[in-house]
Amino acid sequence: MPELGRAALVVTLGLALYALVAGAAAAHLGRRRLALSAQNALIAAFGSTLVAAVVLLTALVRHDFSFTYVARTTSEALPTGYTISAFWGGQEGSLLLWLLVLTAFGAAAIRLNRGWAKSLVVWVVPVFAAVTVFFSFLLVAVASPFATQVAPADGAGMTPSLQNPYMLAHPPLLYLGYVGLTVPFAFALGALLSGQLDERWLVATRRFTLFAWAALGIGQLLGAHWAYVEVGWGGYYAWDPVENAALMPWLAATAFLHSVMIQERRGMLRIWNVLLVILAFSLSLFGTFLTRSGVVNSIHSFTQSSIGAWFLAFIALSVAVSLALVFWRLPLLRSPTKLESPISREAAFLYNNLLLLALCLTILWGVVYPMLSEAVRGEAVVLGRSYYDFFLRIFGLPLLLLMGIGPLVAWRRASLRALLTTFRWPTAVALVTGAVLLALGAGSSVPGLVAYTFSAFVAATIVLEFARGTRARKALGASSWPGAFTSLIARNRRRYGGYVVHASIVLLAVGIAGSSAFDSVAEAKLERGQSMEIGDYTLLYRSLDERQVSNATEIRATLDVTRGDRDLGALEAGKNAYTIEQQVSNEVGIRSDRLTGEDLFVIAEQIDPDGTVYFRVFVKPLVNLIWVAGVVFLLGSVIALWPDAREQRRLVARAGEVGIPATR
Amino acid sequence: MIALSVAAVLAIFLLYTSIAGGGNPSISPSELGSRSEKVQLAGLVTGPVRGDAHAAGLRFGLRDIEGGSPATVKVLYTGSVPDLFKKGRHIVVDGQLRSGVFVAEPGSMITKCPSKYAPKTSDDSA
Repeated sequence: MPELGRAALVVTLGLALYALVAGAAAAHLGRRRLALSAQNALIAAFGSTLVAAVVLLTALVRHDFSFTYVARTTSEALPTGYTISAFWGGQEGSLLLWLLVLTAFGAAAIRLNRGWAKSLVVWVVPVFAAVTVFFSFLLVAVASPFATQVAPADGAGMTPSLQNPYMLAHPPLLYLGYVGLTVPFAFALGALLSGQLDERWLVATRRFTLFAWAALGIGQLLGAHWAYVEVGWGGYYAWDPVENAALMPWLAATAFLHSVMIQERRGMLRIWNVLLVILAFSLSLFGTFLTRSGVVNSIHSFTQSSIGAWFLAFIALSVAVSLALVFWRLPLLRSPTKLESPISREAAFLYNNLLLLALCLTILWGVVYPMLSEAVRGEAVVLGRSYYDFFLRIFGLPLLLLMGIGPLVAWRRASLRALLTTFRWPTAVALVTGAVLLALGAGSSVPGLVAYTFSAFVAATIVLEFARGTRARKALGASSWPGAFTSLIARNRRRYGGYVVHASIVLLAVGIAGSSAFDSVAEAKLERGQSMEIGDYTLLYRSLDERQVSNATEIRATLDVTRGDRDLGALEAGKNAYTIEQQVSNEVGIRSDRLTGEDLFVIAEQIDPDGTVYFRVFVKPLVNLIWVAGVVFLLGSVIALWPDAREQRRLVARAGEVGIPATR
Repeated sequence: MIALSVAAVLAIFLLYTSIAGGGNPSISPSELGSRSEKVQLAGLVTGPVRGDAHAAGLRFGLRDIEGGSPATVKVLYTGSVPDLFKKGRHIVVDGQLRSGVFVAEPGSMITKCPSKYAPKTSDDSA
C-alpha cells in the first residue's frame, strides 16, 4: 500500500512536470493539441493525487502503524473522527491535503474556463503546473507521508487539545482558502504571460476567489471560536503570528474582491489588481512558511522542519517572477480610463483598498519585525498587542465607515448634494445611536463608541438599500413584499450577497467592540460557600467534584449564578487532567445570554488541594454577535457565489469588449 | 500616486512607532546578564517550581532552550498560569530584572504548546 501512495505522488510530479514543460512550449509555439494534452495532464494529476490521498486515509482508518505518519499522529483508541482529522494533523498529511485541493482547483478552473477563454487558459496551465510541481516535489522528496517502519503496537496518539470537533473543520477550511488563492494567481500570471490583460481573467476566477476568501473567513472564525471555548484564556484572537498568517491573505483577498469590481466596470486598477493577487498568494505561502519554519515565537509551535527553507525559496521565486512579468507587461497594463473625481464609487473603493492594504501590511510588519530587528540589531524586538490594537483602530474604523458609504456613491462622479440626500437617514440614525449610547455610559471607551456609531450608520445604509430595492421591485409588479424581496436578491446576487456580507462585518465589529472595549473582569480566591460579584452577576462557589472518564480526570467547580434577583442556574468550570498525555487543560464555564448576546465566562485558574479555587471571571457584552456574524457571512457568501448563468453571460460578453470601459 | 504617498506615510509611521515604543527585545536567559530594561524572556523552565501565582508569586528558573548554557535566571511570576506550564516546557514571559530576580508582568506568560505538528518527544515527560 505505501508503494502505491508513493507511486501515485511520483506520477503527480511527472504529470505536473509534463504540464509545465509541454504547456509552456504549446503556449509559446501556439500548438493547440499539445496545449490540450498539457491541460489533460494537469487534470489527471488530480486523479493520481486522489489515489495517494485515499491510500493515506485508508491507512489511517485501518490503524496501519507501519506508516510512520499514522503511528506518529494517531493511536488505536483514537475515535474515528479524529483519526480522519489526523490526515491534516501532521506536516506530511497537510501537504498532501494541500496538493489534493490544489490539483482539484486546477482541474476545475481549467475545465470550466477552457471553452470560452481558450487563449488565456493555455498560459494558465504552465503556471498552475509550476505550483503543483513544487508541492508534489516536497511530498516526493522532502516530506513523504508514505515513509514506513516496523509497526509498533500502538501509535503515539494525538495531543488532547486537538481532539476537538473544531479540528475537523478549521484546518481544512484554511487550506481551502490558502490554496484557492492559487487560482486567481495562476490566471493573473497567465494573463500577464499571454498579454491578454483584459477583464477575462477576473471573470474566470471570480467564483474561485470568492470561495477561497469565504473559506478563509469561516475557517478563521471557527479558529477564534475554538480558542474562545476550548483554550480558555478569555479571548478569541491574540494577534499571534500564526493567526495573523491567515488574516493577512484574507485582507489582501478582500481588497482584491473590491478592486476587481472597479476593473470590471471601468477598466481601471489593472496593475493594482495583479499586484494584489500576487500579494495574496505570496502571503498564503508566507503563512505556511511561518508556521513551519519556527522563526517566530508563537503559541502555536510547530515542529521546526526543513520545509521552511523550501517555502522561503519558493516565495522568493514566485514573487520575483511575478514582479518581473508585471514590469514586462506594464505598457499593456495601463488602464484606458482614469479616476474622474475623488468623490465617486471608484474613489471610495480605492480608499477601501488602501485601508485594507495598510492594515494588511501593518500586520505583516508586526510579524516580520522581530526577524528584521534580529538581523539588523542582533536582537529580536517583539511588537505587542497594543501595536496591533492601535492600527486596527486607525485603519479599521474608517474602513467600517467606508463600508457604508462606498456602495451608495455614484460611479464616475458624485455631487456633494446627492451624497447629503443619500446619507441623510443613515447619518441621523448614527448620530442618535451615538448620543443614546453616550448617555448610557458608552463614553468609557471612545474607540468602542465610534465603532458602535459607525456600525449603526452602515447598518442603516444596508437596511435602506434593501428597502429601496424591494420597493422598486414591488412597483415593477412583484406580487407580494416577500416576493419582491427574494426576486430583488435573486436578480442581483452579487450585489445583495455583498450587502449581507457587509451586514456580517457590522455584526463582527459590534461584537468585537462590545467584548473588547466594554468587557469587565474580576478575580477572587473562593472557599466553598463564598461568593464574588461582577457587574450585576453574583457567583456562589457551591461545590467541587471529581469525575473519572476514560482518558482524563475531570475536576469541576460548580457555581450558582444569580443576576439581580434572578436565578440563572449552575455553571461548571474546572480542569481536565489527561492521564496518558500528562497534560492539564482548562475547561471554562460559559453562560450566554441569548437575548443580549452577553457571555459570563468563568475560568477556574487554580484549584488547591483544600478545595479553594482561584476564579477569573469575565463579562463580555455582545460577544455572541461575532459567531452570529459567521453565519451571516456564510449566508452572504453563498448568495454571492450562487451560480447565476445570466450574470456570467453578461460578464463574459462584456469582457470580450477589450478595453472598452463599461459604464452604467 | 495616491498609493505611493500613502505607502510612504505609512512606512514612516510604522518605523516611528516601532522605534518609539511598543516593542520589547526578545532574549534568552543567558543574554539577560544584568540588563534591567523591559524585555521578553524566552526559555526552558527549570525546577524547583514553588509558590502560588495568585498569592506571593510563583518562583522558578529559566535557562536557554538551545546552546546548553548553564545560566539560569530566577523568575517571579504572578497571574494566570497557562495549562501547559511545567518543568521542562518552553515559555515566554515579559518583565524586567529587579535585584537579581526577573519579575514578570502579571499574566504575561505564554507557553509554547506541543502542537499539532509536533511528534511526541522525550521532553514532554520531563
